[in-house]
Amino acid sequence: MGSGIVGIYGFSKLWKMARFVYYALLALQHRGQETCGIVTYDGKGGLYSYKAGGLVDQVFSQPETLENLKGWVGIGCVTTVAEKDSSLIQPAIVEGPIRTALCFDGKLLNLKSLRRKVSPLEPRTEAELLALLFSRKLDVGLHPVEAASQLMGEVKGVYSLVALTERGEMVAVRDPHGVKPLAIGSFGFDYGVVASESCVIDVIGADFKSDVQPGEIYYFDEYSIERRQAVKPKPKYCAFEHVYLARPDSIVNEVPIYNTRINIGKILAEEHLAENADLVLGVPETAIPFAIAYAQKAGKPFGLGFVQTGRRIRSAIKPTQFERLVGVQLKLNPIKSAISGRRIVLVDDSVVRGTTTKNTVNLMRNKMGAREVHVRVGSPRIVTPCPYGTEVPEKDELIAAHLSPGEVSKVVGADSFHWLSIKGLVKALGIPRKNLCLGCFTGKYPIPFEDEK
Amino acid sequence: MLVGEAAREHAIAEAICRSSFEPKLYAAMRLRNPGIISLCKRTGGEYVTGKTTDPEFIVESAKRFHVDFVFVGPEEPLFHGVADALEEAGIPCIGARRAPAELEMSKAFMRRLMWKHGIPGRLRFKAFKEVEDAVAYIREYAESVALKPARQVGGKGVKVIADLQAYLSREKAHVKEQHAKIISEEHMKGYTDIEDRILIEEKVEGPEYTLQAFTDGRTVKPFPLVQDNKNAFEMDIGPETGGMGSIAGRGMLLPFITLQEYRRSAEIVKACVRAVETETGYKYKGVVSGQMMLTAAWGPTIIEFYCRFGDPEAVNVLPILKSDMVELCQAIIDERLNKVKLEFEDVATVVKGIAPKGYPDRRDLAKGHPVLVDEEAVKRKGGRVYYASTDLQPDGTILTGGSRLVEIFAKGKSIPEAGRKAEACIPFVRLADGWGVFYRSDIGSEILLKRRIEQAELVRGVYKYRFRKGLVGKTIEWIPGRGKIVLEA
Repeated sequence: MGSGIVGIYGFSKLWKMARFVYYALLALQHRGQETCGIVTYDGKGGLYSYKAGGLVDQVFSQPETLENLKGWVGIGCVTTVAEKDSSLIQPAIVEGPIRTALCFDGKLLNLKSLRRKVSPLEPRTEAELLALLFSRKLDVGLHPVEAASQLMGEVKGVYSLVALTERGEMVAVRDPHGVKPLAIGSFGFDYGVVASESCVIDVIGADFKSDVQPGEIYYFDEYSIERRQAVKPKPKYCAFEHVYLARPDSIVNEVPIYNTRINIGKILAEEHLAENADLVLGVPETAIPFAIAYAQKAGKPFGLGFVQTGRRIRSAIKPTQFERLVGVQLKLNPIKSAISGRRIVLVDDSVVRGTTTKNTVNLMRNKMGAREVHVRVGSPRIVTPCPYGTEVPEKDELIAAHLSPGEVSKVVGADSFHWLSIKGLVKALGIPRKNLCLGCFTGKYPIPFEDEK
Repeated sequence: MLVGEAAREHAIAEAICRSSFEPKLYAAMRLRNPGIISLCKRTGGEYVTGKTTDPEFIVESAKRFHVDFVFVGPEEPLFHGVADALEEAGIPCIGARRAPAELEMSKAFMRRLMWKHGIPGRLRFKAFKEVEDAVAYIREYAESVALKPARQVGGKGVKVIADLQAYLSREKAHVKEQHAKIISEEHMKGYTDIEDRILIEEKVEGPEYTLQAFTDGRTVKPFPLVQDNKNAFEMDIGPETGGMGSIAGRGMLLPFITLQEYRRSAEIVKACVRAVETETGYKYKGVVSGQMMLTAAWGPTIIEFYCRFGDPEAVNVLPILKSDMVELCQAIIDERLNKVKLEFEDVATVVKGIAPKGYPDRRDLAKGHPVLVDEEAVKRKGGRVYYASTDLQPDGTILTGGSRLVEIFAKGKSIPEAGRKAEACIPFVRLADGWGVFYRSDIGSEILLKRRIEQAELVRGVYKYRFRKGLVGKTIEWIPGRGKIVLEA
């Protein structure tokens, strides 16, 4: 499942961490808008938890909700998957043998063999399964770093996780492939923080230190902090993370997301210059840096074409077509005076199903009076869904898996239509291709499933 | 006779024993530092253990050993008037008298002094005698602040809170208020030698460094700059410690401090030494160290003063001292420090502290473990061992005292080279009962240096802008409804 995770460890018991976790989750909201939850630890009452479906500021709208989450340690999570039964929402909590809460971003690839280790009825979700396996290792007396290290050996999959026990031990793990991001930071002598993205660390006023390396474990308790490179890194960083998922103010895998997106815009202009166009627009918000750089490289003015209504919505990861449509319509109210009579390059972030692009192009042409619309997409063609937990629609919905660029151009009603090349993407990232997962663009996934899907 | 028992004193002892005068080393210690004891034995001296803050004990020991002079390593004996008692007994002392030592002992005294004498590198502050007043002040005004015990209490009790996100202010205010109470009730407990209890200072940010110096009250001779690393764990994560290790570069400088900044830092320290004499009537004789920070407000800025060498900073510079330590001490005693040279090997040095698990917050867990050090192996790897918080038992075993147990010194052509050498020595220090130890592998690394250089560049850009605009030493604010306000410093 796609999620955003965070764990904050206070080095003094004076700290009340719930509000820090809350703002951390707000900074992760773009990674999941369906559920959210926080678990805290205060050394007295074990673990405190609150979780529900909805956006972070809705779920935690009552002041007492955060007040009740006591303690100087907290973990939290936002996810992309709606869940009615709140006990199934992350952070998962297993009651025994050692009460443990766990947040998890990713997908287990040997779920069946892992399930055989436990009673079939117990863990109901992947996060619960991981929490239970970890808890059992602690119960036989393993140090949490050793327990996490062993768990890393047994679990095949793609994951970043953070767990918190009723004994006040917090452990963060990034899988040996590092498909999902995880960053570490700290605030003076006062707290340490691990989070899916570095922007979280900025938002809660701490200093970003570095990525948690693939195969690395960070551990915090009342008396110590430990770091262990448990497994040699075999990086397969998710390229889609850089193109679309992460916030532009984050640094992921040592690469500033903003720089990559600027590179993408430049390369897109090199690969597919729309010579006749006289104005470049970007579809808010992810495509804006692409469009700025495209315009710069093409020597054409960049304009503001759309205004958003209401809160930031990640329309592409909304679960139903209706919600996506509402999302897009609210997100994209065009500015007629900017568009009318112009020959426009419309830069979009990722054309997945094609429906929203089609709506937008139609609107610009038919209602706003654009003379030409040339669509440029800041990602390569997305041809398969992600088996590692990123929310990408099923294959039969993916326009690029079925139609050629020429056909897509006609379907969406554009004068020309081009995707970024995979080569261009790799160049924009500046990460060696062998260290990347480009599966959604190539159909080739580097980490095998041990179970049949 | 040396007073003190930490790694700093081990380094001082070693420097004294290198002297061409071939001195006999005597020592007065609280715990039995095995390194100092072996130097005493080697030179034909002796040692005593006891309460080193008791002036009578120190004077009696010095008389009994018929020593030529006393070198006081740590600050507490000076705060208790050990230097005064020695001089009154006619025994010369390297170490400030009680009154000038107030530069370190009372942080409020130090700040008032800097303001009164208009010394650059001063910070805005408020001193409080009552905790209630401090809490009220925090509620009303305090945003980004440093809260400190008004007295030096072994380097503990300082809390620095950046409060820049309005949405997290309530949580931070809670911590500030509670911490003010903890300072008053715990850290300042039992100290009646100064009136102020709590100091609240403006919070500043930037790379920290230590300028250590010898002074005879007339001349101030600075040592090479050193940077300590205070966070317990790697990448500057974790609670505050007494220092997990330190670095010093070639040419007396650190890679992120310019010669001009070094000189200006030394000027600030000199100005304070002069001001102290004006205020107290006593010449400052001994060691003075500026715990400094490069800040946007001033460039070189005083965070705290030490009336002693820093620890671990002493271990960076004393092993590479080329001048004769006894000659230097004699020059301080005779007030002719201007006549002798203070010279060092032109090398980079790295010191790494090794601490038992439990340090710094649970010293009860960290204490009493038997130490195993393979000194020969460390030497083969190009390092040197300085014993820190350790206690030699009658049967020859060495037990941990709860703090860092040893500091490893290494030198090289560059800081990273010295760092790699020190790193190679780490496996030769362990605890015989299997209790864990930790240290910071990143101290001396390229990546940490790069971070410091970046941080310094950022701050340097701002303070240079302020110099250009004539804004150093003042703040101009616009308060809507009240107008323009010009504040000093």
